[in-house]
Amino acid sequence: MIESLTAIKESLPYLLQGGGITLVIVTGAMAIGLILGLCMAVMQVYGHPMVKRVIGVYIWFFQGVPILVLLFLFYFGLFHYLGVNLSAVAAVMVVLGMTTAAYQANIFKGAILLLPQGQFKAASALGMRDLTAIKSIILPQVLRLSIPAWSNEFSIVLKDSALAFVLGAPEIMARAKFIASRTYQHLPLYIMAGLIYFVLTWAGVMALSKLEKTVRIPGYSNKGI
Amino acid sequence: MGILGLLLAGSGQVLAGKTIVNGIDANFPPFAFIDKTGTPSGFDVEAMNWIAKEMGYEVTHKAFDWDGIVTSLLTKKIDMVASGMSITPDRLEKVAFTNPYWKIEQVMVVKKGSGLTLDDLLKGKKLVGVQQGTSEAKWLKEEAKKNGWNLELRYYNSSPLAVEDILNGRISAAAMDDAPAKDAAGKKDVEIIGTFGMDSEDFGYAIRKEDTALMADMNEGLKRLMASPYWKELIKKYDIK
Repeated sequence: MIESLTAIKESLPYLLQGGGITLVIVTGAMAIGLILGLCMAVMQVYGHPMVKRVIGVYIWFFQGVPILVLLFLFYFGLFHYLGVNLSAVAAVMVVLGMTTAAYQANIFKGAILLLPQGQFKAASALGMRDLTAIKSIILPQVLRLSIPAWSNEFSIVLKDSALAFVLGAPEIMARAKFIASRTYQHLPLYIMAGLIYFVLTWAGVMALSKLEKTVRIPGYSNKGI
Repeated sequence: MGILGLLLAGSGQVLAGKTIVNGIDANFPPFAFIDKTGTPSGFDVEAMNWIAKEMGYEVTHKAFDWDGIVTSLLTKKIDMVASGMSITPDRLEKVAFTNPYWKIEQVMVVKKGSGLTLDDLLKGKKLVGVQQGTSEAKWLKEEAKKNGWNLELRYYNSSPLAVEDILNGRISAAAMDDAPAKDAAGKKDVEIIGTFGMDSEDFGYAIRKEDTALMADMNEGLKRLMASPYWKELIKKYDIK
């Protein structure tokens, strides 16, 4: 019992540093996903049929292959073949980013399709260029409507970041394992790792929930009971 | 700024100037592990630090999954492997090794007081744990088939995990190198029951075949290390005899 507590106490700073790396990976991946996903969603709704098809293939590929497989494929295969030398953290960020972009594209597309067609038509009638209409009218609403689904995606990506461990990125799971190998205190350490992931996910989801309430339009959006 | 450093760490040319990256299995005490402060440590890590300083290199240690370590070396993610790596004919096909610096025996580890003998393990239809990608894993698989042993192998990511499962009762024994076995026996309720017929193996540092200059330097460094009193100090410190 004492051994477990000492192991936890000594390893906590080390594990928390791993939490820092996890946050870097997740922030990067979600940012890539947001930008890429948003562009893809807009092009899927308003774009040329050929473009729609290409994006469809991208989404189909990244939704179909497990992230673990993608990590090895990219890190040891594609990047090496292309001569691109990325660190493990950067590689995980890119792969996770590209995967979550596929899912986020669907989230945003769903939100865009929810909006009444009349809005876009009215904008055209007023002489607005398509791009301006999308940027100023459609997207703000889309972003607001997508927050709950996006918060889901965030918590999924945070947990998927644990896979970075297989590429040697020194995040929470990798560090928990290192200490467990030295001290043989597996149970307390993996509980600690789980707790840290839980706290990070919960904090992020709470923040996003607060954001959603802040941008809700009173009198327009459903408020619930 | 620190984030940028993290993203760039490891990218760019390795082996530029005289910095080298040593790939380790960080779950392999006492040869390589992460200590309390979070820095890589262990017999091979400290030996490498000494050799690097002696031969004018800067070395950093990076942890990888053991069964991908050769791929990491070949794809230039790391420049060498100094981490309790056995020299085997299979591996010699892909990489070059320095002169051997340590000999190990492969042993079986069982729960203390279980009373299991080697015969029990080989012929008693028992579950034996091994680490993925190790020479003992390969040997046991081939020999079992040849000699008609009916043991069943269970693969683990690292030997400490196999030891945990012995204590959990999921497997009866684990096969591993003698030094980590000794380390485990000192920390948990397991005991070594002896070797199981595999030839002893030599450890060497693995280096890409084309890096002949690095190989020459490492061999020279090893020679100097093994002639210095620090060698005996390390052996005593990590109790690997």
